[in-house]
Amino acid sequence: MNLNMNSMESVVAQIQGLSSNSSDITQLHNFLKQSEELLHSDFSRLLSSLAELDPSIHSLGFLYILEACISFPVSKEHVSELLVSVARFINSCSAEQIQLAPNKFISVCKKFKDHIFGLETPIRGVAPMLTAIRKLQSSSEQLTTLHADFLLLCILAKCYKTGFSVLEDDIYEIDQPRDFFLYCYYGGMVCIGQKQFRRALELLHNVVTAPMSTLNAIAVEAYKKYILVSLIHLGQFSTSFPKYTSSVAQRNLKNFSQPYLELSNSYGTGRISELETFVQINKEKFESDNNLGLVMQVVSSMYKRNIQRLTQTYLTLSLQDIANTVQLRGPKQAEMHVLQMIEDGEIYATINQKDGMVRFLEDPEQYKTCGMIEHIDSSIKRLMVVSKKLTSMDELMSCDPMYLGKVGRERQRIDFDDFDSVPQKFTV
Amino acid sequence: MDTSPLNEALASSSFDKIADICDNLILQAISPYFFSLFIGAAEGIEFQDEWPYAIHLLGHIYSNDINSARFLWKKIPTGIKEARPEVVAVWRIGQKLWTRDYVGVHEAIRGFSWSPEVQPFVASFAGKMMFSELILKSSGHFQVISLSGQGELFSTGCIGIHMCAYFAVYLIFISFSHHPSAELYKKRMFELLLSAYSTISTQDSACFLGMNENDATNYVLQQGWALDSASQMLTVKKQAVITEQKLDPSKLQRLTEYVFHLEH
Repeated sequence: MNLNMNSMESVVAQIQGLSSNSSDITQLHNFLKQSEELLHSDFSRLLSSLAELDPSIHSLGFLYILEACISFPVSKEHVSELLVSVARFINSCSAEQIQLAPNKFISVCKKFKDHIFGLETPIRGVAPMLTAIRKLQSSSEQLTTLHADFLLLCILAKCYKTGFSVLEDDIYEIDQPRDFFLYCYYGGMVCIGQKQFRRALELLHNVVTAPMSTLNAIAVEAYKKYILVSLIHLGQFSTSFPKYTSSVAQRNLKNFSQPYLELSNSYGTGRISELETFVQINKEKFESDNNLGLVMQVVSSMYKRNIQRLTQTYLTLSLQDIANTVQLRGPKQAEMHVLQMIEDGEIYATINQKDGMVRFLEDPEQYKTCGMIEHIDSSIKRLMVVSKKLTSMDELMSCDPMYLGKVGRERQRIDFDDFDSVPQKFTV
Repeated sequence: MDTSPLNEALASSSFDKIADICDNLILQAISPYFFSLFIGAAEGIEFQDEWPYAIHLLGHIYSNDINSARFLWKKIPTGIKEARPEVVAVWRIGQKLWTRDYVGVHEAIRGFSWSPEVQPFVASFAGKMMFSELILKSSGHFQVISLSGQGELFSTGCIGIHMCAYFAVYLIFISFSHHPSAELYKKRMFELLLSAYSTISTQDSACFLGMNENDATNYVLQQGWALDSASQMLTVKKQAVITEQKLDPSKLQRLTEYVFHLEH
C-alpha cells in the first residue's frame, strides 16, 4: 500500500479509508504515528481537514489532527471555534478508538481544560469533561488523570452535586500517585461543599495516609482540612497517625499545620468563647489558606457538640440550663438549637414548651425493620466484594517478579529463622 | 437540546426529579457544543437570559436540597439577579430554609406576587391557600401559553429553552392540581413539630405552620392534639410509626448463612 506521507490530503484519505474495522484501525494507528511530524508542521490546513472527517467514525484520526491543532498557539477568535470542535469530538467519538491513543486524548482534554480556565467559564467544561472520563475509562474502577481536572472544574463552577456523583464509584486502579492525591483532595472539597463530612473525611484521610517518599503540598493542605472536618464531623481530632502512614507524613505534616492543631486543642476544652477568641486572633492565617469558612463551621459545630454531650449526662434539662451551659443567649435560642438537631437526627429529644424542659430520649432504632435488614445485607455484600478484590490484588502482587525480587533481597539480610514462613504468607 | 426528560418528569408528577433534570440540561446547554447549535459560538449571555432559574431553584428547594440551591444562586450572573426580582424572591425562600428561619419561610412565600409561570410550583411547595387563589387568577393565561407551547414543540421539533420552560410550567400546573404532595412544606413542618415537641404554644405552632392561630389550632386538633385553653398550650399526640416489620424469610436465611460462614 502506498504510504504517501507528504500531504495533508493523503492523511485525510488514509483516515477516511482505514476507519472501518479493527485491523484497518491498527494500520491507521501506525500510519498516524509516523505522520505526527507532518501534522505538527502546518496549522493552516489542520482546521479545514477536520471538517472532512466525522468524529464518530474517524475518531482516531480526528483525535490525532485535533491534538496537533490544539498544541499550536491559538488566537482568541479561534479559541471558541476550537473548543466547540473539542466538545463535539468528546461527545461523539468512539470510546474504543480513542482508548488506542489515551495519551493523545488526555492531552487534548487537558488543553481543552486550560482554555476553559483561560476564558474563566469553568462551567462550560463540566459536561464534556465528565463524558471524556467515561470514554477514557476501561471500567468505572479506573482512576484517570482527568478525574482531578474534572473535580477542579466542578469546584470552580460550583457544580458540587455533579462532582459528587463521580465520587460514588469505588476506585481500585490508579496509574499515577499524583492523580490519586489530587482526586482525593478535590474530592474531599466537593464533599465538604455538599456537607458530606463523613465521605470528605475518608477522602482526606486517604491523602494524608497515602504512601509518599517526599512531602507534597497536596498532603499538607489535605491535612489542614482533615483536622477541620474531623472536628466538625467527629467533634474531636486525634493527632496520632495510623500505622500505615508514611514516615515522611508522620514526621512533617504537623509542623505545617500548627494553627490548626492549636484550634483542635482549643476545641477540646469545650469553651465556645475561648475558641472564638482563638479564631479571631488567627483569622488571617486561616483566611490565607482559604479555610476560614470551614473554620467558622467548626465554631458553630461546637454548640451541637456541647448539647450532644449533655444528652449523655441528663434525662431532662430545662432550656434555661441548656442555654447557660452551652453559652447561648437564652432559652428561646436553646430551643431553636435543639429543634434543629432533632430535625437533622443528631439527637433524640422532645421539647416541652409548657414547662420549658427538654427530655432526652434513646435512639429509637431497634434494628429489626426490613429497611435495616436490607441495609445490613447490602453492607455485608459490599464488604465481601472488597474482600475478594483484596485477596486477588494480594495474589497478583505475590506473583510480581519485582516485588518478589525485593522481598528476596531483604530476606537474605535478615536471619532466616525469623522469617521462616515468608513464602506461605503470600499464598493466602 | 433534548428536553423530553424534563417534560416527561413533569407530566408524571415526578417533581423531585426536576432539580436533577435541570442540572443536567444546564450543563449540556452551557457546554460549547450545544452553544454552537443554539446561538453560534458567541458569549453565553443569551442562553442565561432564557434559562428558567426560578424553576430550577425551586426544584432544589422542593427536593429539600438547599445546599444545591445555594450553589445555583451563586452561579447566577448578577445581571440576571438585578433584572429578575422573582429569582431573588425564590432564593429568599431558600435563604430562610438555609438559616432555619422557619417563620421567615412563610413570610418569603407570601411576600412576593409570583408570576403565573412560577406560582404553581411555589404553591405546591407552600400550601393550599395560595393554590386556590392561583387557579382563579391564572388558568386563562395558561391555556394560551400551553397552546402556543405545544404548537412550537410539535411543528418545529427543535425549540428554544424558553418555549420548553413554558410547556414545562404548563405540565407542572396540570399535575399539581391533582398532586397529593401539594403543601409539602406545611406537612414537613407538621412532622417536625410532631417529632420534636410534647407541648407547644398555639402561637408558635401557628408560626411554624404559616397560618393564623385559629386555623393552626383547628388543623392540629384534627390530628388528635389536645388544647389547654387556659395556658394556650397544645399537647402533641404522637402518631405510632408504622414501619414494615415483616421479614422476608430469604433475607433471614441469607443473614443466617453469613453468620454460619463466619463461625465455621
